[in-house]
Amino acid sequence: GTLQDNSTLLQFKFFYILKLDYESKRKRKVAEIQHALNSSPVDVAALRRMAISEGGLLTDEIRSKVWPKLLNVNTDDLPPKPGPELRENNKDYQQVLLDVQRSLRRFPPRMPDAEREVLQEQLIDSILVVLKRNPQLHYYQGYHDIVVTFLLVVGERMATALVEKLSTHHLRDFMDPTMDNTKHILNYLMPIIESVNPELHDFMQRAEVGTIFALSWLITWFGHVLSDFRHVVRLYDFFLACHPLMPIYFAAVIVLYREHQVLESECDMASVHHLLSQIPQDLPYETLISRAGDLFVQFPPSELSKEAIQQENTAVSTFKDFELVSAQQRPDAVLRRRLREQPQRERRSNITAARTGTRRLMKLAVMGLTVALGAAAFAVANGALEWAAKFELQLFP
Amino acid sequence: MASAPLPLGPPPRCRILKMIVIGDSGVGKTCLTFRFCAGKFPNKTEATIGVDFREKTVEIDGEKIKIQLWDTAGQERFRKSMVQHYYRNVHAVVFVYDITNMATFQSLPAWIEECKQHSLGGEIPRILVGNKCDLKDATQVRTDLAQKFADTHSMPLFETSAKNPGDNDHVEAIFMTLAHKLKNHKPMMLSQPLLDENKVQLDPEPSPGVECYC
Ligand SMILES: Nc1nc2c(ncn2[C@@H]2O[C@H](COP(=O)(O)OP(=O)(O)OP(=O)(O)O)[C@@H](O)[C@H]2O)c(=O)[nH]1
Ligand SMILES: [Mg+2]
Repeated sequence: GTLQDNSTLLQFKFFYILKLDYESKRKRKVAEIQHALNSSPVDVAALRRMAISEGGLLTDEIRSKVWPKLLNVNTDDLPPKPGPELRENNKDYQQVLLDVQRSLRRFPPRMPDAEREVLQEQLIDSILVVLKRNPQLHYYQGYHDIVVTFLLVVGERMATALVEKLSTHHLRDFMDPTMDNTKHILNYLMPIIESVNPELHDFMQRAEVGTIFALSWLITWFGHVLSDFRHVVRLYDFFLACHPLMPIYFAAVIVLYREHQVLESECDMASVHHLLSQIPQDLPYETLISRAGDLFVQFPPSELSKEAIQQENTAVSTFKDFELVSAQQRPDAVLRRRLREQPQRERRSNITAARTGTRRLMKLAVMGLTVALGAAAFAVANGALEWAAKFELQLFP
Repeated sequence: MASAPLPLGPPPRCRILKMIVIGDSGVGKTCLTFRFCAGKFPNKTEATIGVDFREKTVEIDGEKIKIQLWDTAGQERFRKSMVQHYYRNVHAVVFVYDITNMATFQSLPAWIEECKQHSLGGEIPRILVGNKCDLKDATQVRTDLAQKFADTHSMPLFETSAKNPGDNDHVEAIFMTLAHKLKNHKPMMLSQPLLDENKVQLDPEPSPGVECYC
C-alpha cells in the first residue's frame, strides 16, 4: 500500500512541478508579449519570436493584438463595412457563396446556427471586399478557409484588413490567374524530403504520388484539413511570423514524420495519396514546428530552387521561373551566407549536432532559429530594399 | 526472376478500375462519389481542393474488383496545371453536370476538350451524369437536350440524384454499369505485382496500367 501511495505522491509532485513550470513559463511569455506590444515603436522582432516559439501567441485575445503587428497593418484605418451593391454583378460571388455555404466544419461545433449564419455572411463580404479592391488577385477554392480563420479570431473588419495584406504578400502566388506558381512552390516539397530522407523520397517517386495531396495544406495553411481550431491558429502564428515558403517546409515535416506509415503502404499512387491526404489529427505540433524551422534554415529555398525547377514536368517559361526564384531567394541567400560565415567553433558544434540528430537534419538552438526565421520573415514583409540592413540588425542586436 | 516472398503469402489479386470524375464546381461530384463508396448522401461536404480519392471493392461475375474514384476540384484554375497528373492511367471518365444549372451543362465541351488533351478521348468509356434530379422543379437542362449532346459524343446519359436517387437510377447502378462494361473492355491493372511472364500472359495488349507496377 505505502509503496504505491508513495509513487502516486511522487507522480503527483512531478506533474505539479511540470504544471507550475508550464504556468510560470506561460505567464512570463504573456508578460514579454505585452512588453513588446507596449514598446515604442512596437518590438515586432520580439513578437515574431513569440509567435514562432513554443505555444505561439497563446490566446486569441493576444492574437488579435499581435497579428496586425506581424502584418504591419494599421488598425486605426480599417476598410468600411460594404453595402449590398458589393454582391451585384460580382464575378466571384457565386463561387464564394458555394464554398462558404459548404464551410460548416470551420465553425465551432456548438455555435448556434443563427450566429454561424451571420459569420458566414461576413465571410462572404470580407472575401469579396479584398477581391474587389485588388483586381489583380484571383479567388481560389480554399481561400475561404484562410479568411474564416481570421474572421473567427479578429472579427470582420480587421479580418478584411489583415487578409488583404496577407493576400498581397504570403498568398500572392496562389492568387495569380493560373496556378503555375502554386505548382512551382509545391515542387519544393520533394527536394526538401529528399534532403532529409532519400529513402522516403525514392519510395514516393516510385509510387508517382505527385504533390497534390499537399495542395490544400499549402494554399489554406492547413485550415482546410485540421479539425481543431486551436491547432490551426497555432500554425497561423508560426506562418505569419515566417517566410512565405514555410508552409511547404511544414508539409514536408509532416510527410517525414509519417515515414514509417508511408514506407509500409503499397507503393502506388492511390495508396500513398490516400494515406498522406488523411492528415492525423494528433500531430505533435510544437515539435513539428521547430523541425520545420530547422529544415528551413538548413535547406533554405535558394538551395532547393534548382531541384524544384527540375521537378517541373510542364514547360513553364524559364524566364518566369527565374523571376520567381530570384524573388523568393533574397533573404535566404543572406541567411546561408551568414551560416557559412559562422565562426568555426560554432559550426563544428553544428556538425556534431547533425551527426547525432535525426538523419541529416540538424537541430538549431531555439533562439538562433527564431531569430533567423524572424529575420527572413521580416525581410519579406518589408520589401526588397530594406531587408538587408534590418536582417543584420536583428541577427546581431 | 522471382518476386520476394511476402510474409503472409500473396494476397488474392484484385483488378483495379480507375475512374476520374469531372465537371464544374458544385455539380455534386463529391456527393456522387461519396454516395457510391459510402452508400449515403454526405451531410456536410466541402469544396474539393485538388483531388480526393475514394474507393470501393465490388464483385462482378464472382470477381473482386476495386473501383477507384478520383474526385477532382471543379474550379477552373485547378484544371490546367494541377489535376493533370491524375489523368494518367485512367480507365473511364465520368462527366457530371447539374440539371438545375445550365452553365454547368454548357461547360461540358470544355471538359471533354480537357480530357482529349490528356489523350482520354472516345477510345475509353465515358459517361455523362446529370445530377440533382430530386430538384425537378428547378430543372434547367431538359433530358432531350442532354440526350442529344450525349449522342453526339457517343456517351450514355444517366440522370440521377446523389441525394435521392430514383429506383431506376441508383448511383450505384451507374458506376456498376461502367464497371461491367470495363471488365470486358480492356485489361485493367492489377493491384499486386506479378511475375513478368505472368503479366505478359494476362495482359497481352499494352495496358495503361502497366507502368504502375512497382
Ligand atoms: N438537392 C441536391 N443537392 C445536391 C445533390 N448533390 C449534391 N448536392 C449539393 O450540391 C452542393 C455541391 O455538392 P458537391 O458534391 O460538394 O459538389 P462538387 O461537384 O464536388 O464541387 P467542387 O468540389 O467545388 O468541385 C452541396 O451543397 C450538396 O449538398 C443532389 O443530388 N441533390
Ligand atoms: Mg467536390
